[in-house]
Amino acid sequence: MRNSLRAIARRIDDMPMWSVPLALGIAVIFAPHIVGNYAIERQLQLSLILCLLVSGLNLSLGYAGELALGQVAMFAAGAYTAGLLSSHGHTEILVQLLAAAAVAVLVGIITGVPGLRLNSWSLAMTSFFLVLLLPDVISIFKDHTGGRNGLVTMHRATLFGSPERGDLYFATIAVITLLWFVVLRNIITSRHGIALRVLKQSPVLASSVGISVFRMKLLAYALGAVPAGLAGALFANLDLFLSPEAFSFTYATTILAASVVGGSASVYGAVVGAGLLQFGLNQSSDYVQYSLVVTGAFLVICGVLLPGGIASLARAAWRRIVGPVDVAAKRPVPQVDAVARFAGKPLRVEGISKSFGGNQALRDVSLTAAPGRVTALIGPNGSGKTTLLNVICGFYRPDAGTVTLGDRRIDRIVPDRVARAGIARTFQTPNIPAGITVLEAVTAGRYMTARVSMVEAILRLPRFRRVRREDEAEAWRALDLVGIADTAYLEATSLPLGQRRLLEVARCLVAQPGLLLLDEVASGLDEDELERLGTLIRRVADAGATVLLVEHNFQLVLRLADHIVALAQGQVMAQGTPDEIANNPRVISEYLGIETAAAGESSQAGGHRAAGR
Amino acid sequence: MTLVWGALALGAIYAIVAVGYNIVYISSKTFNFAQAQLMMVGAFVAYSGLVSWHLPWLVVLLIAGVIVAAIAAIEERLAVRPVRDSHNILVTTLGAAIFLDGAAQLIWGTQPLTVPFVGGNRATTFVGGRVYPVELALIVVAVLLVVGIVVFARWTKYGRALLAIAEDREAAELRGINVRALAFAAFAASGLLAGMVGLFVGPVTFAVSTLGASLALKGFVALAIGGFGSFPGALVGGMVVGLVEIWSARLFGGDYVHLGIFVLLLLVLMLRPAGLFVRARERQV
Repeated sequence: MRNSLRAIARRIDDMPMWSVPLALGIAVIFAPHIVGNYAIERQLQLSLILCLLVSGLNLSLGYAGELALGQVAMFAAGAYTAGLLSSHGHTEILVQLLAAAAVAVLVGIITGVPGLRLNSWSLAMTSFFLVLLLPDVISIFKDHTGGRNGLVTMHRATLFGSPERGDLYFATIAVITLLWFVVLRNIITSRHGIALRVLKQSPVLASSVGISVFRMKLLAYALGAVPAGLAGALFANLDLFLSPEAFSFTYATTILAASVVGGSASVYGAVVGAGLLQFGLNQSSDYVQYSLVVTGAFLVICGVLLPGGIASLARAAWRRIVGPVDVAAKRPVPQVDAVARFAGKPLRVEGISKSFGGNQALRDVSLTAAPGRVTALIGPNGSGKTTLLNVICGFYRPDAGTVTLGDRRIDRIVPDRVARAGIARTFQTPNIPAGITVLEAVTAGRYMTARVSMVEAILRLPRFRRVRREDEAEAWRALDLVGIADTAYLEATSLPLGQRRLLEVARCLVAQPGLLLLDEVASGLDEDELERLGTLIRRVADAGATVLLVEHNFQLVLRLADHIVALAQGQVMAQGTPDEIANNPRVISEYLGIETAAAGESSQAGGHRAAGR
Repeated sequence: MTLVWGALALGAIYAIVAVGYNIVYISSKTFNFAQAQLMMVGAFVAYSGLVSWHLPWLVVLLIAGVIVAAIAAIEERLAVRPVRDSHNILVTTLGAAIFLDGAAQLIWGTQPLTVPFVGGNRATTFVGGRVYPVELALIVVAVLLVVGIVVFARWTKYGRALLAIAEDREAAELRGINVRALAFAAFAASGLLAGMVGLFVGPVTFAVSTLGASLALKGFVALAIGGFGSFPGALVGGMVVGLVEIWSARLFGGDYVHLGIFVLLLLVLMLRPAGLFVRARERQV
């Protein structure tokens, strides 16, 4: 029984992911013919409108990680746009929808640009402010909007000139909602969706793969205004009456609650959440009185106990039913063991100084890293390795000196542009985005390579498909190279530390960067992983890459590096070949001398490994 | 000048909300959305104590402080500490705020309630304008509060511990500072403060269940002007918001009050996002 259930589940799992929701969506279009009950029909219409609003919020809250409360304001902007158009005789619904979406996006941009400049609370507050402003604005323009008395001059909407009534209008709402969900789903499952989740995990990670944090957040927030505007136009034509009460703070909280309950980081969670709130809670007439208390409690309880909402529960349950994925059978490309050619660029760091307050972290540091060679940066804790790395990546502005990659100065540009100039890096503490598979996390590294516009992703144009195939092929190859291809379909955050580091290396490889920066990649790896990583770094360098290795493991450095730079107290203490460094008296006293016992142990371990090879 | 006094009194309220945000922000780097709602509950308790139960005002001060501190402590335990993902704290504290809004509606209704002020209701002439005792009291409370906190932070062990946490949480922990206990204490203290000032806020704004939302926003604007973590900044920011509020009402009319403050917020965020009193820091990895 259990096995047959699993077999059926697997068959469904192998079908395209979108087939079930699409079938349900089409069923909803014809719902009036099936239910034939006016009250339920109306609840369905309101649920669809709420769905649109919630899914817009999900884009910014669930995917970009920015709480925004302004959906109601964008909803109102859309509704009044459509209402005013209708009052002036422009009843064509498609025109109204377009205009409403455009106005809502405008509101989104006007509040998003300043709101996203400070921190995650300022967008929440500026968008919350919009909700408070609504009644005032409606009242200021009361000659047009009807103020508190409401807008009553609307005409019945038309579709291509023929009037919209009953079932036809229901179908219009359903089709628009369905189309929006197709758009949303296509964005989320594209590289832009992965980029959004990278951004939510960490802005630092996002900029280090070449994503402009501000633009991406603004894009998510402004895009989230589109469904709100559409919902507004649909709502306005539902009753042909608009008043400020429909756009209250309470409704704003309902949207948020629906998002959180359904699961903010999911496409279809919006449908579940909206359905639950519209049908479940709003039914009882006593509810109005308790709505704020219930919504508030809901938010706290879900935020604490059910952070991913119903969607994450459903996902986990489905994974359990389907069971482990057979990676070998499912992978679309055969295993190859070849390193791509790298067009490595020379890195030149010249005379870099950097101080924090009175603390001189770097003093006149110069070094070069050449293509085809492994350059290692060593030094005790506090010697300035990490500071130098941050200068190279653009997170710190140096006080003096220059950094050049190839023939381009990179010491005065922001991190995401540094990344696009061709630097890929790993982190001391691996930075792994939540909610995506290992394979997807690796493809994130290719965001700065071949660019695909949002429109191409939404319409799934040929270029989008081609780039996606390339992304995946490269990701598989990189996973094979680092040796964790068997984890490709697992949730990326479920990996242990060693494999997380390897994932980061793979993410860097797929970018085919001009400079590969590895920040203490060896710590936390077991013997086998270390062995494989060492070989891989050598192969990558031989294939033409410029590798800069920041490392504590002295034996690994001696074995791998062609050129070693030793830092101490913010200055270059010595540089040269591994032999020169190993025999340099200053290095031995300042760096190794401090930890004689530890160095002895690790050299022993290194000796064993060398013997084993 | 009469208008200025009114503006400064309103500004003092916003400054106190911003001070509350700051206390929690410094100790735990979180933003407590419900801070203004705590003050709202303080105003309601002041109403119940003074009007319904006819208690002496010192007793009411104590009761309001204790009740709201307890609510803040419960909020910290239920809606802040157990949350693992920092993105979610904004959602859960907003949940707490909405819950308090709803609870206040259920207990005290939706009509504005007049909270009497202990110092009476007789306006006097002072520095060229008519001013009510409660307005002067609010300004004095806000200034004393900020001065007191700055002194506390600089000269006491706990104050310095809080500053250490704000600077580097992990390093503070390694130094033997009980970060969790202090964060909890700071939350409760912000509640105590919010409850006690309810006695002064209520007479100016009325006790009403929509008070929280509007105070939260204006307090946030005060905070944004002054800069996160700066107490003198919160005071100045609050006063600026109060002045803008009064003047946009006077020049353009009541419908323009929120719009004026909103434009102020947008300007601050565009021109000086770190605030007037905080130096922008370099980003770290």
